[in-house]
Amino acid sequence: MVDRLVTAIAEMREEEALAITRELLGAGTPPTQILDDCRAAMEIVGQRFEQGKYFIPELILAGEMLKAISDLVKPHIKQEAEVKKLGKVVLGTVRGDIHDIGKNIVGFMLDANGFEVYDLGIDVPPEAFVEKVREVQPQVVALSGFLTLSYDSMKETVEALKAAGLRDRVKIMVGGGTVDEKVCTYAGADAFGADAMAAVTLARQWTR
Amino acid sequence: MKIIGEKINGTRSQVRKAVLERDAETIAALARAQADSGAAWIDVNAGTPADREPEDLVWLVRTVQAAVDVPLCLDSANPAALAAALEEVRKPPLVNSISGERARLEGVLPLAARAADGVIALAMDDQGIPGSAEGRLAIIRRLLQATRAAGIPDEHVYVDPLVMSVATNSDSARVALATLRAARAEFPGVHFTSGLSNVSFGLPARSLINRAFLILMLEAGLDTAILDPLDRELRKALLAAEVVLGLDRHCLAYTRAFRAGLLE
Repeated sequence: MVDRLVTAIAEMREEEALAITRELLGAGTPPTQILDDCRAAMEIVGQRFEQGKYFIPELILAGEMLKAISDLVKPHIKQEAEVKKLGKVVLGTVRGDIHDIGKNIVGFMLDANGFEVYDLGIDVPPEAFVEKVREVQPQVVALSGFLTLSYDSMKETVEALKAAGLRDRVKIMVGGGTVDEKVCTYAGADAFGADAMAAVTLARQWTR
Repeated sequence: MKIIGEKINGTRSQVRKAVLERDAETIAALARAQADSGAAWIDVNAGTPADREPEDLVWLVRTVQAAVDVPLCLDSANPAALAAALEEVRKPPLVNSISGERARLEGVLPLAARAADGVIALAMDDQGIPGSAEGRLAIIRRLLQATRAAGIPDEHVYVDPLVMSVATNSDSARVALATLRAARAEFPGVHFTSGLSNVSFGLPARSLINRAFLILMLEAGLDTAILDPLDRELRKALLAAEVVLGLDRHCLAYTRAFRAGLLE
C-alpha cells in the first residue's frame, strides 16, 4: 500500500504521488510514515542520480514533489517533535562565486534526508556564515564554490569561524567544481564531497 | 561564425595539472588541435589562485604562442594576471571578460581599452545574473555606455547574453535567445558571443543540447561562440545551419568542408 508512494516519487509520477498522499492522509495514515516513504524514495532517486540514470532535472522534480507532499502533510502533524531532524546544516556558495546549481542540489538532498538546512545563497561573505552559525548552532557547515578563486574564500570563511571561536563546534565540508582533497586541506575544512550524496553521507556521519 | 577554442581552461583537471606541472607539451597539443580545427582565437584560462595566476597565465600565453599563430582570448577576472599577460601577447587578443560588476569594470575595462582587440562583456552585475531578458538588457546598456566611454568602438565588443542550464530552469535558453535578439536590435554594431556549453550542464548527451542551442542562437544573431572546436558533430551542424540561414555565400564553406572530408 505505502510502497506505491515510494514508487510514484521514485518514478517521477508527480500527480500520482500527490493523489496517493491525499488518499493516505484521508485513510488516517500517520504523517511520519508518509515522510519516511518520501525519504526512502529520495534515497532511490539519489542512487539513480549517482548511477547516471537520473539527472539534475529529476532531482529538482523530486524536490518539488517532496515540498508539495510536505505541504499536504503538515496540517496533519500535531507536534513538531514528530518530525525530528537529524541535524542542522548551514550551507552557502562562498564569497566571489555565484554558482548555485550544485549548492542547491546539496541543499535539497540534505533536506530530503532529514536535515534542517539553512541556505545562505550565493556570494556569501565569511561574516554571514559566522553570524548564522552563531545563531542556529549547526553541527555542519557546507561551503560550495565552482571558481578557483572560491578556494581562498573557503579558507577565509574557515578562518573567520576560527576567529569567532566557533570552529571546534562544527564540522566543515567543501565541494563544487574541481574541489578536491587538496582544496579541502588548503581551506582547513574537515572533508570534501564530490556530489550531493557524498554531502548527505558526510552529514550523517557527523551527526550520528 | 568565429570560434573561440575553449579547451585550455584550468577548471578542466587535465589543464589544471598541466599548468601546475608546467607541462608545455599538453598545452601546445591542445592549442595546435584547436587551431587546426579552425579556432579564430584560443582561450587561455589558468584557473589558479589569484596570487599565482599572473605567473601561470603568462606561462600559458608563452606556451600557446610558441605552438600556434592564432590570437588569444585572455580569460581571467584578475587585473594583475591580465596586465601581465597583455605584456606577452604577439597579436592583440580578446579579453574575457568584463561585466556589470564594479570590480571588473574598474579593474579590467581600462586594460582591455588600452591593449586588446576586443572585450567580452557579460550580461551580469554585482547582483548576479538577471532572470529576465529585460534585466540583462539593462546591464548590456550600461556596459556599452562604459565601453564607449572607455573609447572602445562597438565592433570591438562581444556581448555574451549568458545562458544558464536548462536542467534547473526550462526557460534558461529562451531568456538567452530573447536577450540576444533584443540587444542585437538595439546595438547592431556589436558582436555577440556565448559560452554555450553551460546550457546543457547536468544533462546527459550534452553535445546534442549544445548543438540545438548553438543553431538557434546563430539564427538570433550570434556571430562568435566559445566552444570545443574539436567537436566534429557540432562543427558539421554549424556549417549546415549557416547554409540554411544564408550565411555561407554560395555554400562555399560547406562544399569546401565536404571536399576536405570534414562532413563525414
